[in-house]
Amino acid sequence: MSDKILEVSDLQIRYVTDEETVRAVNGVSFTLERGESIGLVGETGAGKTTTALGIMGLVPDPPGEIVGGSIVFEGQNLLTLPEKQMREIRGGKISMIFQDPMTSLNPVMTVGAQIAEVVLLHNKITKAEARERAKKMLEQVGIPGSRCDDYPHQFSGGMKQRVMIAIALACSPELLIADEPTTALDVTIQAQVLELMRNLQKEYNTSLVLITHDLGVVAKICDKVAVVYAGEIIESGTLKDIYTDKRHPYTIGLFESLPDIENDAATLKVIQGSVPDPSNLPEGCKFNPRCPYATEACRSGDIKPVKISDTHMVRCNRFSDTEV
Amino acid sequence: MAEILRVEDLKKYFATKKGTLHAVDGVTFSVDAGKTLGIVGESGCGKSTLGRVILHLHERTDGRIVFQGEDISDVSNAKLKELRKDMQIIFQDPYASLNPRMSIGDIIAEPLKIYNLCKTKAEREKKVHEIMDVVGLAERTYSLYPHELDGGRRQRVGIARALILDPKLIVCDEPVSALDVSIQAQILNLMMELQKERNLTYLFITHNLSVVKHISDDITVMYLGQMVEKASSSELFSHQYHPYTKALISAIPLPKYNAPDNQIILKGEITSPINVTKSCRFAPRCIYAKPECFNQEPTLEEVEPGHFVKCHFVREINNL
Amino acid sequence: MKKKHTMLSEIWRRFKKNKQAVVGLIVLILFVLVAIFAKQIAPYWYDDQDANRAMIAPCMQYPFGTDNLGRDVLSRLIYGSRYSLSIGFLAVGISVLTGGFLGVIAAYYPKLDNIIMRCMDLFMAIPQMLLAMCIVSALGSSLFNLMLAVGLSSTPKFARVVRASVLATREQEFVEAARAIGASNTRIILHHILPNSISALIVQATLAMAGAIISASALSFLGFGIQAPMPEWGAMLSAGRKYIRTQAYLTVIPGLAIMAVVYALNVVGDGLRDCLDPRLKK
Repeated sequence: MSDKILEVSDLQIRYVTDEETVRAVNGVSFTLERGESIGLVGETGAGKTTTALGIMGLVPDPPGEIVGGSIVFEGQNLLTLPEKQMREIRGGKISMIFQDPMTSLNPVMTVGAQIAEVVLLHNKITKAEARERAKKMLEQVGIPGSRCDDYPHQFSGGMKQRVMIAIALACSPELLIADEPTTALDVTIQAQVLELMRNLQKEYNTSLVLITHDLGVVAKICDKVAVVYAGEIIESGTLKDIYTDKRHPYTIGLFESLPDIENDAATLKVIQGSVPDPSNLPEGCKFNPRCPYATEACRSGDIKPVKISDTHMVRCNRFSDTEV
Repeated sequence: MAEILRVEDLKKYFATKKGTLHAVDGVTFSVDAGKTLGIVGESGCGKSTLGRVILHLHERTDGRIVFQGEDISDVSNAKLKELRKDMQIIFQDPYASLNPRMSIGDIIAEPLKIYNLCKTKAEREKKVHEIMDVVGLAERTYSLYPHELDGGRRQRVGIARALILDPKLIVCDEPVSALDVSIQAQILNLMMELQKERNLTYLFITHNLSVVKHISDDITVMYLGQMVEKASSSELFSHQYHPYTKALISAIPLPKYNAPDNQIILKGEITSPINVTKSCRFAPRCIYAKPECFNQEPTLEEVEPGHFVKCHFVREINNL
Repeated sequence: MKKKHTMLSEIWRRFKKNKQAVVGLIVLILFVLVAIFAKQIAPYWYDDQDANRAMIAPCMQYPFGTDNLGRDVLSRLIYGSRYSLSIGFLAVGISVLTGGFLGVIAAYYPKLDNIIMRCMDLFMAIPQMLLAMCIVSALGSSLFNLMLAVGLSSTPKFARVVRASVLATREQEFVEAARAIGASNTRIILHHILPNSISALIVQATLAMAGAIISASALSFLGFGIQAPMPEWGAMLSAGRKYIRTQAYLTVIPGLAIMAVVYALNVVGDGLRDCLDPRLKK
């Protein structure tokens, strides 16, 4: 029995300034079951963070505008909710971990206080109880509870990120959105943090939206993958679908441009050109200027998503030619 | 003469309020011309400081630097200016390393102006356009400003600026870490091509192990200011002997479906480089640590031809 | 196709969006034109005395009236703009040069930093007006000495601003890059650090001009600086004091002129600050 916790349909977000309109998210759709994790993979400017902000209702307005689509969370369309109700959901039912642990923590509040803050906002308990809860959360993320009165600057980057995780999970949210949670960390610390996230996710049965550009990280903790390019999901599927049967030329290009630690290649395969300007997107398939498989049909019109299997979707005219 | 750079027991200490910060603490290696030495480590290991000390952007505390057969450990300002023509640097942050008020053409031309290498403005422009072509920058980029370019193109500008004086050695400080994956590949290919064409020597500093394997001939792994292992690139990835290197390599998340999980998770956090003691600096986090590790500092020894490791129990741990 | 934006055109484009600032700029330009073409515009010479037409209230022939010596107030105002504006620009020019130089040296040569900044602190401890008065008293009353006094008394402020800006810029990677390509300290300061520190300086300068004009007016009001019959606005204010009950226009008109220029400078300074800083980021 499927237990859909999140359903994003045809989400469209843009940023409007005097000079230009940036089409950041152009029809993003994906679903997430309870306890599942999806990796939103893409490069800078693809629109992943904007999508996450859209789910949290944190798109800065102005200049951001949500111009279409719906975000259904536990049966409710978040886009229609008044701000007061969104506030109750934020931190309580949906939490977010931001990218840079150095700047995401308030430097003048103890870590214990910051964890307790979110607990108190969503639960009617006493300050003492909240503090106990904060200590427990610190222990859960591998930090001694006795450090709950320390300030952020007394922790290293990896530990700060653990504190962020503690804050995010303090109210046992149904959904956790993590925006590049380990990008700023050293690889050995990243390994520790990812391990932690995976364990906690299983323990709390939290659904996870993981935003990253690192295909290795996705392989470690995600069940599903959605590849984002120019504000669209150009391919999505289970981990196995994307990693063993990739079809979209961009997905293929991404994997091929990774230096492979197991093989030695003289030169890396590159994707020609660069990511399009979101205020000036190409006609037709947004990847067509860089695509080695592109034909005339790709340069105009809408490219409709095609279901290769129950789980695997790709937005490409040439998907059958890219099969390996 | 094949060897172009040799560094002997190089040290760089910083005085801080809490004590002496041992940023680089006794590093010794040599590099042959036309080769790439990868310098790998995580934050706080001293790799960036090492690169800058070699270039005299920081003054060394102790040790020797020999470049092209000459001892350049202490140099006069005039000699340093001459040297800079041969030793250049590419920075990590393509946003911060370009003067936002200068046009691309001016940024790349500046080294020529400083050394008065061109007699006329036209000659200078020509040289700039030449090098722009070499690094793959469109002609019209000449009059643009840094903020009008994306990360990849800005990094090409940084490379052009480093190349225009025709140096022999380039210190690359995380040159692709700030770039998107698809651009990384482009820049790496460019750098490798340039190396072949011009017989450049690279000191490639990075924390990204997949990238370093791809571009390096030899690799040295650093931890808290010291070299803990050094070997050829292929050797290091097939047989790592130091516990830290093992953990580092096992920690790389492989972009593969159902990759085996043989990850070594390290205990705790990196210790402080301030006021270090006579011990193995990795001991607090090492799963193999024994009492001696906390009392005696190991030496960097050659366990196999060309493969150096700094560990008391390297043979026991690896069944050598 | 993206339009090519040079730094200047980008700054201008942003500046234009601030309507107040644009109005301020127009007012300033008008005053500057008036000062330059004073001889052509003013109906009378500023010291054209005639007892017969003393104390005439504003009317068609004398739009701003005449003063106790029969001089046309409008003409005196027009000629006076030269003094006020030149004091504003030149005094600030002196501040910028001295303060800027000291600020750069303090920021770039840490050994001198302490000495220079403590001297600046000392200077700042003396009330600005008092300092200016002392300088004028010591050197004598003249237009130049007035400018010098006002300029020097603002030096510490500029030294601070420039020092902070240089310190911040000095840590940027492109400065390190300049060292790596062999640039000398002088080159780094002139080509790399100063151009990037200039926005803070420009903003401070426009705001300081307003202050300088007021200071100059105040000093003239108190009798330092400009001597009669120079039509400096502050001096005119002072002279009109005696008649404030009966011929209020003698004080109000120059007062309004000072206000107008100061206001214009303030809004232009604010506008510049908004469009120069934050940097041209998307």
